[in-house]
Amino acid sequence: MSKRRIKLAPIVMIAPYLMAMFFCGIIPLISSILEVRNPSWVNLDGGYSTIFKILGDFRVIPALWHTFFLIAIFVPLMIVFILAISLLLDATPMRGNTFMRLVLLLPGIVAGGIAVMIWKTLLGPDIEWTTGNIRWLIGGISFTSGVGSWIVIQYGSLRSISHEVLEAARVDGCNRLQLALRIKLPMIGRYIGYMTILLIVGAIQIYTEPTLLMSTGLTTDWSLSQVAYSYAFRTGDFPGATALALDMLIPNIILAIIFIRRTDFLKRGDRH
Amino acid sequence: MTQLTEKKNSLLIKLTLWALTTVVLLPFLWLIKTAGPNYLKNVSDLFHAQDGIALVWLKNSAVFTLGTLAITVLSSITAGFVMAILDIPFRKTMIVITLVTMLIPITAMAMPLYVLVDQVHLNDTIFGLILASSYYPFGAFLSYLYFTSAMPSDLVGMGRVDGLGDLGLYWHLGIPLSKSLWSIVTFFSFISLWNSYQLPKVLLSDPMHSTLPMGVELLFGNGTAIVGVMMLIPVVGLYLLSQRSIERGIFSGAVKG
Repeated sequence: MSKRRIKLAPIVMIAPYLMAMFFCGIIPLISSILEVRNPSWVNLDGGYSTIFKILGDFRVIPALWHTFFLIAIFVPLMIVFILAISLLLDATPMRGNTFMRLVLLLPGIVAGGIAVMIWKTLLGPDIEWTTGNIRWLIGGISFTSGVGSWIVIQYGSLRSISHEVLEAARVDGCNRLQLALRIKLPMIGRYIGYMTILLIVGAIQIYTEPTLLMSTGLTTDWSLSQVAYSYAFRTGDFPGATALALDMLIPNIILAIIFIRRTDFLKRGDRH
Repeated sequence: MTQLTEKKNSLLIKLTLWALTTVVLLPFLWLIKTAGPNYLKNVSDLFHAQDGIALVWLKNSAVFTLGTLAITVLSSITAGFVMAILDIPFRKTMIVITLVTMLIPITAMAMPLYVLVDQVHLNDTIFGLILASSYYPFGAFLSYLYFTSAMPSDLVGMGRVDGLGDLGLYWHLGIPLSKSLWSIVTFFSFISLWNSYQLPKVLLSDPMHSTLPMGVELLFGNGTAIVGVMMLIPVVGLYLLSQRSIERGIFSGAVKG
């Protein structure tokens, strides 16, 4: 036991996951990075400068603004809403708690096409959609479909805070609001950080909602993902498409690094 | 005095939550109403229309979701356990790659995956789609977070003293301690696969190979509602099944008072 040698069992156990990671994660990423070198319509000479040149496409700037819009308005709204509802659900024992979380999940589990139909019916035929207001519809759909599953997760993380801690705070005279803001939220901080990153990443990658609304004629190439797909499947420009997709990865990597730095999640063992 | 305000606040919280629930629920009641009072008959009508293409979509969706689910759940939870508890070379690297690949836009992955699947001649098949969807870093990362807090080193040490090897540790401690994790990973993997839209859209082209979320686009009005309700049923069922363990808290540890 004194000699540390590589053991076989852990490798066998993790092998299926590593294979999936290799074929569906690493290989596609590497081939994306290699693909960018090939000549693209925006850069006939080929090479990695495509990564910058692609940003000059006239569709990229509006798509970027749409992304900023979602990140500035809807992501914060989602975070506040998710935490507020999870805290409320956790604040007082009540009947129908399970049912409520199920209902809040529903918008997220109907396929996008059905969500669009519901929204259109709800808002009625009288609204005239323009390039100016359709972003609110897209944000609204992604809001309603996104909050439910995070409420389930955050409610779960709130439930795991130990009773003693909460009781001690109560004895110290914390009221429910103070308990929520000063004890509960800081204790689930890691999961809030994780959620924030994934919500921002989701906004950067948004594809389904604008694609399903394309019948309005207003949301073709609305998001960065859509522009990338246009490159790939309309003009057959895979290097251009991949370059744009890699540009979308940059902010995600920065977020991931911040997250790793802030939460020391690589440490093993008993942290809480 | 304070008890009175406490009660008043509780009531206020409950009213807020019920009001919200009602508002969210209404569109779904409308959806069920649109799907028709003779729902089963409507479903069977839909299944007979156009040579039963909707039935084919349902079958495709079921095969794809269940096939992939078996792979994602088993592989990602086991991986999370290994990365959190066991000694393995390149442990940190694996965790970082898990996190980073989770953040890669599907757009960047979809095209190389398309090429990869095409190279092994599985283009436009459900099997190819299953393989391309079998990587579930979200589940692995969630499991990693779970096991790091649910299995403190004391507990692992005790297991070792009792003579448990790596597999034994997983079988006798890891799995029994992680029932709620299994529920939640299964549930979320199920939802994301069952509703998966972007990757199937890139990998599948023949309408006969479509899954339900893609097929929905080709239907309208009443048909959309019927499929909508159909897609909700398994998710609601699975939610209720997994609820008991989710209720206990996903992240609750083993050595808690």
